[in-house]
Formats: sequence, structure tokens, C-alpha cells
Amino acid sequence: MIEVKNLSKQFKAPTEEKGLFGPKKKPFWAVKDLNFQIKKGSVASILGPNGCGKTTTLRMIAAMLTPSRGTAFVDSVDVRKDKQVVKSKIGYMTNNTSLYDRLSVIETIKFFAELNQISADIYMPRAEKLIEQLDMKKYLNKRVADLSTGMKQKTSIVRTLIHDPDLIVLDEPTTGVDVTGQSVIIDLIKSIKDSGKTLIFSTHQLNEVRDIADHIIVMKAGEKIFDGDNSQFQELDSNKNFTEIFMELVSE
Amino acid sequence: MNKWQVLLVKEIKHLFRDTKTIVQTVVLPTFITPLLIGLIFWYVADVATEESKKTYNVSIYSPSSSVLIDELEKSDRLAITNENSVNSVIEAVTDDNSEIGLVFDEGFADDLISNTSAQLTIYSKDIDTFSQAQSLVIDIVDDYEENIRDKRLELLNIDENYVNPISINEENLTTEAESAGSIFGAILALFFVMYVMTGSMYPAIDLGAGEKERGTMETLISTNISSVDIIIGKMLSVTSSAILTATFSMLGFAIPLVVIFLFYADSINEYFFGLLSAIVNPVALLGVFVLIIPLSVFMGAFLLAISVYAKTPKEAGLLLGNVLIVFIVPCYVPLINPGLELDFVGALIPCYNLALITNNLIAGTVDWFLYSVALISTIVYCCVAIYITYIMFDDENVIFRS
Ligand SMILES: Nc1ncnc2c1ncn2[C@@H]1O[C@H](COP(=O)(O)OP(=O)(O)OP(=O)(O)O)[C@@H](O)[C@H]1O
Ligand SMILES: [Mg+2]
Repeated sequence: MIEVKNLSKQFKAPTEEKGLFGPKKKPFWAVKDLNFQIKKGSVASILGPNGCGKTTTLRMIAAMLTPSRGTAFVDSVDVRKDKQVVKSKIGYMTNNTSLYDRLSVIETIKFFAELNQISADIYMPRAEKLIEQLDMKKYLNKRVADLSTGMKQKTSIVRTLIHDPDLIVLDEPTTGVDVTGQSVIIDLIKSIKDSGKTLIFSTHQLNEVRDIADHIIVMKAGEKIFDGDNSQFQELDSNKNFTEIFMELVSE
Repeated sequence: MNKWQVLLVKEIKHLFRDTKTIVQTVVLPTFITPLLIGLIFWYVADVATEESKKTYNVSIYSPSSSVLIDELEKSDRLAITNENSVNSVIEAVTDDNSEIGLVFDEGFADDLISNTSAQLTIYSKDIDTFSQAQSLVIDIVDDYEENIRDKRLELLNIDENYVNPISINEENLTTEAESAGSIFGAILALFFVMYVMTGSMYPAIDLGAGEKERGTMETLISTNISSVDIIIGKMLSVTSSAILTATFSMLGFAIPLVVIFLFYADSINEYFFGLLSAIVNPVALLGVFVLIIPLSVFMGAFLLAISVYAKTPKEAGLLLGNVLIVFIVPCYVPLINPGLELDFVGALIPCYNLALITNNLIAGTVDWFLYSVALISTIVYCCVAIYITYIMFDDENVIFRS
């Protein structure tokens, strides 16, 4: 489903040195020579400390950023070549519930459905099912600005899934969400998995990963330091729990 | 609906649910325009009437007495002060204690008696355009001079026409439409440009830098909408808001005029009535409107490009503030230089061409070739601006610039 080949991204970062227009900038590799494959229908999780390149990797897979080197294939489509095709296959959710404040929940859902050129007789039943599943009926006509973080998160999820994408990419879906919100999202990830879709998400919540991820990728400073399935990860050291294994990996 | 239409509908819905947008595009232009114009008229009329009643101070230094001084003293609008030196006269005018200073030459009276030319120096400042001080004084001096000239000619038995070989008759053929054009053309253009700018500024900030800050830009980019669809949708939203603002400012200007026409036609003087009827001219209003549309699109695209480049709405506001000046200044030039004529090069300068063409359209003297030059050049700028916006939206460094 996803094949990542030597995927790399270079950015310019400000340095201590002062130039003519603010600090001088120096190129650095935010993501470097990443290689991995994610099977169709599996749930993959990307882990790693802040700034290790998770978001950048996900954005390149979703054809939002062009790789500086290497490439990725989504369903055999090259993200460098057919950006629009890749994007139409993907439902991408950013890590801050970024929605339009002055649209209502239902308007938001309709907007993203129409943006994907789906007709109402297709997206309405789909939306109703998700609304039911996420228990959102009561606030469908509320403006997004008046929603709680959890409600916004659910709205984001529905709009991400409304065009029935084959690959779902979630960047820290549970950050800033309370315990009930988190469990809603976890349940949803499970049901997406059951429907046979591929899902990749980044997170700092290790217990989620332990419970639901099939495939685990750990990154550090732009490079891959672990790539394997959940059981392989836990077998790295059978005397330690999940978090301890992760801590050890990252501190090496 | 295709993608850009979906985006456009959403953007407009989202924009106009914000009271700030409504105030900026509808309320302000509709009510502030007539208010401002009314205030300007009221002020000008008021200053002019005030000035026609005002008494002016005149400082005089004259070594000997003169009948002219008695004549000046007779005027009830001149308050005469006698000074005892040239310097104190100059000082009085310099310090604004007197509007006019008069210095009579040592032999003023003697020169007149001996039938030669007597010297009189008038000191004044010509800052206050409404002041009638100088003309009041000069009228009295002229009358006095005429009187003496008549006596001298009589003495020599010469007819007055003998020393006036040419008598000039001045006939002013300026039409009411032309005066209206020169008075209102530049002001109108300035108003329109200002409203198009303010009408597109807030939406441009909101749809560019605002979306980047709120993170919705990232969501939008993640969907399979192309950069072209994004800029068409967004630019048209900004432009609709600008055109709406321009329309309401036009209404804000026209409605009070129509009200005056319908209900107060008897109470305004004929000259003013002529000026007003020249403005309420469908060809002129339509001609201006056709020019404003590409100008709005141009500004919308340009502002959007800058806004999306900015990291935050705050930075966008700062950058756009500077752009505002760049657009306003060319509108301002014709306002402070009435009588400026549009030429080919001028027709290529955005806003400047609008100001002069508005002027000519109202005056009924528009050169349709230059009008087309202005229209076509604005459309060209428009395309360039759209292209720049396209580059901005297609550049990940700009979209993810933070
Ligand atoms: N558009 C950009 N321009 C310049 N540098 C960037 C850009 N985006 C990310 N970076 C830098 O690249 C590095 C990786 O960032 P990235 O957001 O991918 O990390 P992350 O693993 O998602 O971190 P977090 O856990 O905090 O979300 C960081 O050092 C970040 O500052
Ligand atoms: Mg991140």
C-alpha cells in the first residue's frame, strides 16, 4: 500500500549567526533516507521525539510536501508525479483540529464532500453512519467555534473520512483530547482497520500504539531507528514494558 | 459545482458570517461615504461664508498722510493699524497679527501730485486660499488708481479707450460637467480605490495568513483540490467582497444625490444642481464600474499573494498597510493637481488612470483609446498578479512558511 524509498527532506534552519535579513539559515535533513513498506489493511504508527520528522514524513506521503530526495508510492502511485491522484486516495488529518470556525458541523462535512466531488446521495448515508457512530447528532447545526475540543476532533474525523479514502493519515489524532475523546478515536481507528483500510498515524501516546498498531516505525533525528511489527517491538526486551523499550531505543 | 466553486461558496459564506466583513464591505461604505462627502461640503461652504463676513487686520506704514489710507479706513471689513516703520509692518504680517501689510513710499503723495508713479508695497502670505484680505485691499487701491487715472486723462483731454487699446472680454466655456469632473472625479476615484482596498484587505488577510495560522490551509492543501482551483476560489471571494464594497460605496454616493434631486432640487443653487446632474450620468458610472472590476481583481490577487506569503495575520496586516499607500498615492496626485491630463503613460498607471478617467467620464471628455489602454493594462496587471498568487500557492515553502 505504502512504499517509502530513500525518502528525504531538507529544510533550512536559522543558525546563531546573524545575516542581513535576520539570522543566517543553514540546510539540514529533517527526514533522511527513510525506507519502509506498509501493507494494505494494516495500522502503522510512527513514533519519535519532538522534531524527529514525523509530520514531515506524513506530509510527504500525503503529497503535500515534495521530497528533496527519494520518493514514496501510495497504491503504486508516485507522490512526486501524481499529487492529485495521491491526495484523492488519502484522508489526512492535521494535528491541530483545523476547521472553519464559522461553518456548522454539517456544513463542514458537506464542504469537504463536495470538494471531493462526491454527490449527496453517496456522502449523506456515509456521513449519517459516522455521525451515528461518533454520537454527534446533537450538535450537527452548531458552529465549529462553539464546539468543545472533543467535538471538533470528531468533526475533523468525519470530514477526513467523508470521501472514503483508502489510506487514512492521522497526525497526532489524540493530542489535546480528553480520555473519552481518546477512546472514541481509538475505537474509530479499530473500526477503520476492520473495514480493511490502511491507516498510518503519528503519536506520543505509547499505550495507544501498544493496543492498536500492527506496524511500528520509530524515528530519531530524521532517521528510522526501528521498523517492525508490534510483537517484534515488544520482543526487543521482554523484561521491559512498552514505554521502557521505547525510551531505551530513543536514548541510544 | 466544480472545486473552485465549492471553495468560493464556502469562503463567501464563511467571510460574511463575520460581522467585521459586513461592517467593512456594506455598512462603512454606504454610510461613511455620504457622511464624509457631506462633511467636506459643509466645511467648505462654512469656511467660505465665514470668510465673507470676516474683518481683516491691515498694518500700514506711511511717512505722510494719503487719501488712499482714508479710503481703506472707510471699508468696514478692514481694521487699520498704523505702524511707525517698515520693519514693524513686515513683523506684523510675519507673526500673523495682520493679514496684509502696506508700505507707502516716502514720496507717495508728492509723486501722485507730480503725475508720476507712486510706489506701494503690499505684504501678505498666500497660505489661506479662502482669505479675501488681499482682494479687498487691492480692489480699493484699484478704485483709487482708476480715479486718479481718469482725472489725469481728463486733464490731457484723452479718451479712456486711447490708453486701453485692447479690451478683453472673458467668456468661460467650462461646462458644468467639466467642473463636476474636475471637482469630483479625483475624489470619487480616491474613495473607490480606498474602499476596494479596505474591502479586500480583511478577506485577503483572513483567507491567506489567517488560514495559515489557524491550520486550515494545511487541511485544504491535503485535499485533492489543485492550486489553480484554490486561487480562483479564494481570489474571487476577495474580489467579490471588494466589488461589493465598491458597489455600496457607489450607492452611498449616489443615493444622497438622488435624494437631493428628488426632494431638495428647489433649495440648491443652479450651478450646484448642474454639477450634481453631471455626476448622475449612467455612462460615467458604468464606465467607472467597468474599470473598477479588473482593478478589484488585480488588488484582490495581489493582496492575497502578499497575505499568503506572510507568516501571521499581523505580518500580513503590516505588509498590506504599505501596499495601501502604494495604491493610494497615484489616486492622490490628480486630486492635488486639478487640470492634469491623461496621456498614454499615465493610462498605464493603475489608480492614477482611474482617477483621471473618472474625471473625464464625468466631464464627458473621455478619450476612449486611453480608456481602452487603461482597461487592458489593468487586465494585464491582473493576470500578472494572479500568476504571482499561483506561484505563492504552489510553493510549499510559502504555504508552510512559519
Ligand atoms: N516548513 C518547514 N521549514 C523549515 N523547517 C521545518 C519545516 N517543517 C518542519 N521543519 C523542521 O523539521 C524538523 C522536523 O519537523 P516535524 O514537524 O516533521 O517533526 P515532528 O516529528 O512532527 O515533531 P512533533 O512531535 O513536535 O510534531 C523540525 O526540526 C522542524 O523544525
Ligand atoms: Mg508533528
